Amino acid sequence: MSVVEARRVTRLFPMAAGPVAAVRDVSLSVADGEYVAVSGPSGCGKSTLLHLVGVVDQPTSGEILFESRDVAALKEAERSRIRLVRIGFVFQRFFLLPMLTARENIELPQAEARVPAADRRARTRELLEYVGLADRADHLPSQLSGGEMQRVAIARALANRPALLVADEPTGELDEQTGGHIADLFDRVHADGTAILVVTHNPVLAARASRRLTMKSGSLVS
Amino acid sequence: MSRWFRVTAIALLSAAALAHASDSPVDAQAPGVLLSRQLAARAHVSIGDTVTFAADPEGTRRVTLRVAGIYEPTPDPMRFTAQRLEAHLHLPDLVALVADGADPAAREAVDAINVKLTDPGDAARFGAELAARAPGVAVTPTSRARDDDPFAVLDRFHVAISAVTVIGATAFLLALMVIRAEERRDTVAILRLIGISRRSLLAAVAIEGLLIAVVGAIFGVLTAFAAEGLVNRVFQARYDTALVFLRVTPSIALRSVAIALPLGVAAGIGASWPLLRGEILSLFRR
Amino acid sequence: MTSLWLAWRTTKRYRVRAVLAVVGVAVIGALLFDMLLLSRGLLASFADLLNSGGFDVRIVGSEGMPIVRLPIAGSTRLANELRALPEVRDVVLIRIERATLWSNERTSRPVTLVGTTQASGGPYTIVRGDDLPRDSSFDRCPILVSRHLAASLGVEPGSSVKISVNPDGVRSALPAVSCRVTGVVNFFFASAGENSVATTMTALQQALSVPAFAPDASAGEPGVDADLILAASQPATGPAAAVRAIHRVRPDLRAYSNEDVVALFNQNGFAYFRQISFVLSSLTTVFAFLLVATLLTVSVNQRLGEIAALRALGISRGRIASILLWESALLVGGGALLALPLGGLLALGLDHLLRQMPGLPERLHFFVFQWRAVATHAALFGVTAAAAAAYPMWLTARLPIAATLRREVVG
Repeated sequence: MSVVEARRVTRLFPMAAGPVAAVRDVSLSVADGEYVAVSGPSGCGKSTLLHLVGVVDQPTSGEILFESRDVAALKEAERSRIRLVRIGFVFQRFFLLPMLTARENIELPQAEARVPAADRRARTRELLEYVGLADRADHLPSQLSGGEMQRVAIARALANRPALLVADEPTGELDEQTGGHIADLFDRVHADGTAILVVTHNPVLAARASRRLTMKSGSLVS
Repeated sequence: MSRWFRVTAIALLSAAALAHASDSPVDAQAPGVLLSRQLAARAHVSIGDTVTFAADPEGTRRVTLRVAGIYEPTPDPMRFTAQRLEAHLHLPDLVALVADGADPAAREAVDAINVKLTDPGDAARFGAELAARAPGVAVTPTSRARDDDPFAVLDRFHVAISAVTVIGATAFLLALMVIRAEERRDTVAILRLIGISRRSLLAAVAIEGLLIAVVGAIFGVLTAFAAEGLVNRVFQARYDTALVFLRVTPSIALRSVAIALPLGVAAGIGASWPLLRGEILSLFRR
Repeated sequence: MTSLWLAWRTTKRYRVRAVLAVVGVAVIGALLFDMLLLSRGLLASFADLLNSGGFDVRIVGSEGMPIVRLPIAGSTRLANELRALPEVRDVVLIRIERATLWSNERTSRPVTLVGTTQASGGPYTIVRGDDLPRDSSFDRCPILVSRHLAASLGVEPGSSVKISVNPDGVRSALPAVSCRVTGVVNFFFASAGENSVATTMTALQQALSVPAFAPDASAGEPGVDADLILAASQPATGPAAAVRAIHRVRPDLRAYSNEDVVALFNQNGFAYFRQISFVLSSLTTVFAFLLVATLLTVSVNQRLGEIAALRALGISRGRIASILLWESALLVGGGALLALPLGGLLALGLDHLLRQMPGLPERLHFFVFQWRAVATHAALFGVTAAAAAAYPMWLTARLPIAATLRREVVG
């Protein structure tokens, strides 16, 4: 069964010289527990496709079905709810809240989902151990390295036990060794049954996926 | 004397409204009177009309006068809320109207005497000598000493309020400049890393602060001029007066600019100072 | 993890700008608070001054308050008639004349001479000496002098002086009468440097000694034309009923309760302060709104990537909006609270400054604390906080998540 399915989606961006198709007639599905990597040159539309599949953006044409629900038919509040509890997002630039500690950053989406405080704390402890940062729980992002920040971001994305983890260039700002650690972490997440859709230039990370796709000029070529 | 006149004149102006300008010899010979614009409008009289004034509510002593003209009273900031229902007569006509026949000195008495001195600087000495020769006569120079002038007090009040406003605005200006400085943290770090000197960066920040201050000051002065017109129109209409309530003089505009410019430069430099003085590597954002 | 908590953490993170914003709001808020105090302070102080004498009805012979002196004919008989009214508890006659006081052959001062039928406990506090005597048979001209006048002439209780009255409309010179200083006082209604003297109406009548002011009295009381008659109403009926009763007795006179007098002065004499209070209150509120709104908007623009990421994670628009609203409330609320003591201090300074105006009663204050001003201050800042957050909230509600994330990566 598909967690998410994109059917002939196109995303046009209006420009002064005329609309540009960042994604052109793409169909893609990610099954339960599947690990999919999308690669391609810069500007080919990988991130745009990720935003569409991650219910962050809406296609100009075509359909996005998340767990068989047509995303376009949903109100923004419902889409927001899907992003909160069914999808976990990992960004290239981490986007941790700088004024919150690692622990608080991970607790935030759980608080938004109205998870009771005791359960939040337990889940957060579990996730910090999972990503190997139990001893850095009370550190601010400014006190963490790039790799550590990305691990906290992954823990945050997993906080509400999503069906799908979506990652946009998760190793883009990290060195090779640290990127390797992140790739290992993604393997663990996949092994635990979470579907993953990752957009990446990193061949090491792409190689870990069970299905690799390539985009070029807004279309999937393989 | 003039007080009696003010109190009772209005009471009889309703009768005056019924009087018409006529070609009769009596009316043509009636003494002239000037009415304030407000009084003429209230009594519905115009130039040439005949009016009657009385010195008491019963109207036992009255005189007929011809409206020779209508004038705009000189605005008096001490009485700007008062309705200027007043008139000007020749002094003998007023004395004839209001003097108490039983008081032998009444026809020889006035409320005030205005004196124009050859040397205005002599006012204090003249006043002291006159007071000594005529006790009970109050002698007051028209140019009041600053410490006895209510407008001097109001001036100080306004300056105090302005000072408070400037302090508040400076705090906000600093807050905005701090945000601007934080936004450019990485840029400043890179510039310092590649060798641009602190002096050059300081000069750039100072010039930027100066430009912002100049533009802001000009905008402020233009806003003040616009506000001047609006405030004067509103209050002149509200109180039916020609008094100018608000005036932005070149001196005030220059003073405002003179305060704004150094504040703007100082705020820009002050907000950027930690970036210019701090360790380069500590500036790179996490 | 409430929105308030998140807002507090954001404010703490950017503490320099937050402190500056709070200081700015506090300073502007202090000015706003003072303008609110000024808007009714002068009225409250003036009302307090009027009520301090114990009389709540004023009767004059002319339209408006006595700038123009018109004597009230038959004052003594009128006073007796008023005392007989069930709505009236007490009546006092007042007459005010210009006079010259001589402490010796060479030294004199122009003074304001007030004659009163009030036996004691008038609108003054005794600094030295005694009040006017109830029985003036032993002392033909007892007087109270203001502290400033006493210091200026070097007179003390027991000193002998001479007074010659200069009544309005009378041009012939009146002979000076010898008087004795019984006390040095602070007059409630006198300005700081004013030379004021109070005496009994009997003494004033004798000082005038002008046949035109013919006696018109019951047996045993001097006839006198008063400028002003003060009446105290019965507590059960109140001043309004007393005013109506007085109008029935003498419809030609003008009777005003203290509330009426305050309303008249509010309309005319205090117009400047009312207007400037309104203008400055409005300006400071708008100023605070503009500055907090600008600060919040710039702050939000600086954090757009962070906000877009939160939205991508599923944090709702409403939650983000409420965080921004709390941020505004913290800045404005913190400043508004700090503004109260600051405003109090500023009010002391501004009050001292304005009271230097010549001719003002020494006891009159421009800035008087009222809880109503605190409530208005709080309400205005509450609205300001909400309004200042409106545009940043709208910005975040409309934020295109994907486009913002893309821009942040490229930027």
